[in-house]
Amino acid sequence: MFSAYYLQIMILVGINIIMATSLNLITGFTGQLSIGHAAFMSLGAYAAALATLKLGLPFFASLLFGALLAAVFGVLIGIPTLKLKGDYLAIATLGFGEIVRIVFLNLKITGGAVGLRGIPKSTTLLWVIIAAILTIFILNRILRSRVGRALIAIREDETAAESMGINTTYFKILAFGVGAFFAGLGGGLFSHYFQYIHPGSFGFLRSIEHLCMVVLGGMGSMWGSIIGAAALTAIPEFLRASADYRQLFYGAILVLMMRIRPEGIIGERRSRRKPPQSKDKKLGKINIFKVIGR
Amino acid sequence: MFFQQLINGIVLGSTYALIALGYTMVYGIVELINFAHGEIYMCGAFVGMYLVTVFKVPFVLAFLVAMIMAGLLGVTVEFIAYRPLRRSSRLAALISAIGASIFLQNLALLVMGPRPYSFPSPFTPKVYKTSLVIISKVELIILAVSFLLMLGLTFLIQKTKIGKAMRATAQDKDAASLMGININRVITTTFAVGSALGAAAGVMVGIYFRSVAPMMGLMPGLKGFVAAVLGGIGSIPGAMLGGLLLGVAEVMGAAYISSQYRDAVAFTILIVVLFFKPAGLIGRFLQEKV
Amino acid sequence: MTRKNVFWATLLIFCMVLVLATGCGQPANAPEGEGEGEGPSAGAEVVKVGMVGPLTGGAATYGTSVRNGVQIAIDEANENEDIPGVVLELNAEDTEGDWSKAANAFSKLIEQNKVNVIIGGVLSSETEAGGPIAMGGQIPAISPSSTATGLTLGNPYLFRNCLSDEVQASQLAEYAVTELGFEKFAILYTNNDYGVALKNAFEETAKELAEVVAVEAFMDNDENFKPQLTSIQTKGPEAIFIAGYYTEAAKIAQQALEQDLEVQFLGADGFYSPVLMEIGGEAVEGAIFTAGFHSGDESAVVQNFVNKYRELFNEEPDMFAAQAYDAARIVIAAMKSKGTSAEQIREGLAETKDFPGITGNTSIDEEGDTLKDVLILKVEEGIFNRIR
Repeated sequence: MFSAYYLQIMILVGINIIMATSLNLITGFTGQLSIGHAAFMSLGAYAAALATLKLGLPFFASLLFGALLAAVFGVLIGIPTLKLKGDYLAIATLGFGEIVRIVFLNLKITGGAVGLRGIPKSTTLLWVIIAAILTIFILNRILRSRVGRALIAIREDETAAESMGINTTYFKILAFGVGAFFAGLGGGLFSHYFQYIHPGSFGFLRSIEHLCMVVLGGMGSMWGSIIGAAALTAIPEFLRASADYRQLFYGAILVLMMRIRPEGIIGERRSRRKPPQSKDKKLGKINIFKVIGR
Repeated sequence: MFFQQLINGIVLGSTYALIALGYTMVYGIVELINFAHGEIYMCGAFVGMYLVTVFKVPFVLAFLVAMIMAGLLGVTVEFIAYRPLRRSSRLAALISAIGASIFLQNLALLVMGPRPYSFPSPFTPKVYKTSLVIISKVELIILAVSFLLMLGLTFLIQKTKIGKAMRATAQDKDAASLMGININRVITTTFAVGSALGAAAGVMVGIYFRSVAPMMGLMPGLKGFVAAVLGGIGSIPGAMLGGLLLGVAEVMGAAYISSQYRDAVAFTILIVVLFFKPAGLIGRFLQEKV
Repeated sequence: MTRKNVFWATLLIFCMVLVLATGCGQPANAPEGEGEGEGPSAGAEVVKVGMVGPLTGGAATYGTSVRNGVQIAIDEANENEDIPGVVLELNAEDTEGDWSKAANAFSKLIEQNKVNVIIGGVLSSETEAGGPIAMGGQIPAISPSSTATGLTLGNPYLFRNCLSDEVQASQLAEYAVTELGFEKFAILYTNNDYGVALKNAFEETAKELAEVVAVEAFMDNDENFKPQLTSIQTKGPEAIFIAGYYTEAAKIAQQALEQDLEVQFLGADGFYSPVLMEIGGEAVEGAIFTAGFHSGDESAVVQNFVNKYRELFNEEPDMFAAQAYDAARIVIAAMKSKGTSAEQIREGLAETKDFPGITGNTSIDEEGDTLKDVLILKVEEGIFNRIR
């Protein structure tokens, strides 16, 4: 049907959709800038791989194990978010991501710098499609519920949300927990596809890549993240033809895209003249209700 | 050994501090994480290296030219990648910055090739020994130059007219504009000065480690950014303090905990500091207006 | 889209075209350009040879060397018409040094480009990720530099052409103790598969024969090694084994000199590059390391390669380039003896015996691993001299 190469790209697109939509929950909808999403992915990837290799769990159980472990860490990293805002939070998540990577690089059980090989190839396109649809479906349910409205309220104005009786602490930690859960799921699929994992692929550049997918697609838009993930997975592959100039083009495309449509591919254009805002509200002010079709 | 490690940390930290200054200045004025700063640092080092090795320019002159060129580059990057996005969301500007960073890095890779270039030290190698510590001439020069540049920057910001305009813009852009301050000029100057400091750091690090390479800006750029946040982003003394602290923490972590976990120690300290002082060490916590 | 945006878009595209044009003008950066002029002779069958490695990112210098080495071997084969009626074509793919992107590169070469053989990956993690894909696509792959232990086990399509870390490090440790008479060693290793494997092997042998007083780590692309060196200094070793590549090794030596740490530096084939002396200068003088290749070798094949490399790329070859050149020539030899289909190349590679390469006589064992002679080189007056 498809050549193995296209199949592989499609699987990667699927995994990246899971990564981007789950990051979108944290950054796009709740307004908590995170540049450590790859850390959750690596936690899920390693935990799922080890569950398969050492505990002999079936594939599905391993995936769940990886996702749950990532969720635990998501809650843990969610706790500092109670105090940190904007770029301070971003840098804390970045630091967390680097710590996780370095720990994996030095642990014995993860194979350290040599990596972990011999993971069975259980991930198929069908698994990825099911996982991606499930992720989108659950995230959509969350966003359309009371929880989702609370998250968006936190993004729009935390103080106002709090005074309306929203427990911002609880909901922010929830967003991190859920986001990390799905990132862990994506990681588990990732490790069971490549049959090998190494910390080198979960560095800060990978987190940045996820963030680019969310922003390029359109912050706080489910479809935006899906399109962003597909575009940023496929574009570097198409650019392979230009060999040495690939990365150069990639950089230029990012700059160019932001010039032409700073609000992302899908995302409502905000009026160019806006009243001065307080510093915490500048993260992106897209009318989410219109976007997810409420 | 403790004092020797302390010196190691301070020297490393002073280069971080110089990079952090560029981040913090830009952030203070336009609230943008200038991701391309690490690349400007790299370009500055390349210009310095080229002038010294190919054109045989005296080192001090090469140093100044590198700073000027990097300043121009910073202004160009601002003009192309950031200025059009000034009214967009901050994240859009961040992505644009990342794009600019990737572009510059790979441009350098294409033009210069991936191999590291040697940057011969203009100073005769000399080591000063005391009973407690050993310090080389290059390290002393790095400390002195960093100190002078930071002093100069403080003077520029506190005592000159443009410095006053910068401070006003950082406080309230719209009000500053109403007072007749040319915001665009202030931003351009900020980028120029910040980038020049980055280039200074690049050249100093280049002669310290005797090499320049297209990828040299990646990690120092990240660390400089961390240092800026650690000190309290937007605060100039904060950047200096953050840089020194990060350098010392990294070295002490490598020396007394484990060199395998060197970077992890630095980042853990960062998270702990942020947890107890969420706005960084010297940062003001901006009161949110309701 | 506003008019202003269109203007900027056009300007940017214009700039990129300009960069493209200027970039292509430089011979050092566009080695592919050299081959294009000849063109495949009429009626000849085109056989594609893939190459996978980091051409951008922090490890770009290694990947680029590998591509250069392969390029020379392929150009030579085409010029001499080594394989009658066949023109070889190089298809190089970038990995950015990320193994998951290496997997994409392997797939693309196999499925889209329809290559018959792949030379790569360069980093061990790249080959680990690409190996199963090569096996799945039934395309043989030979890595010129991935040294991870047991890499080729259980994969009949995966081969490599490099010195084993274990053999190198244990031979060097033996030499350092018995011939040079050192008794107290320190190890400074880069925290990746290459460094860790070398460290383990060296530590084991050195501990048996003498004493290891300190073991410290550093990361790829680190620049500041002062804290590690200061720690090592207090332990007073006579020699430091640096398990890492030339850029870091040169900086370590330099910084050791700056803090008055006078020791003998030991290393492995990762030292082999002129960059070691360019950056290290005085500080690396006297350094002793193992290698598979020595450009000072008088033999015609080595001199031919070194001269061609200088001429084409305007620099001295490093060990990555040399091993890649040999890997490509082993592939070409396999094509000559068996045929050019993927399966025939695989058979040919598996049967490689005493291939006279520039990195020594090379045989491939039943597991796809290489058996080679280890040389020991020393930096003397800014050049490498063979001492064993």
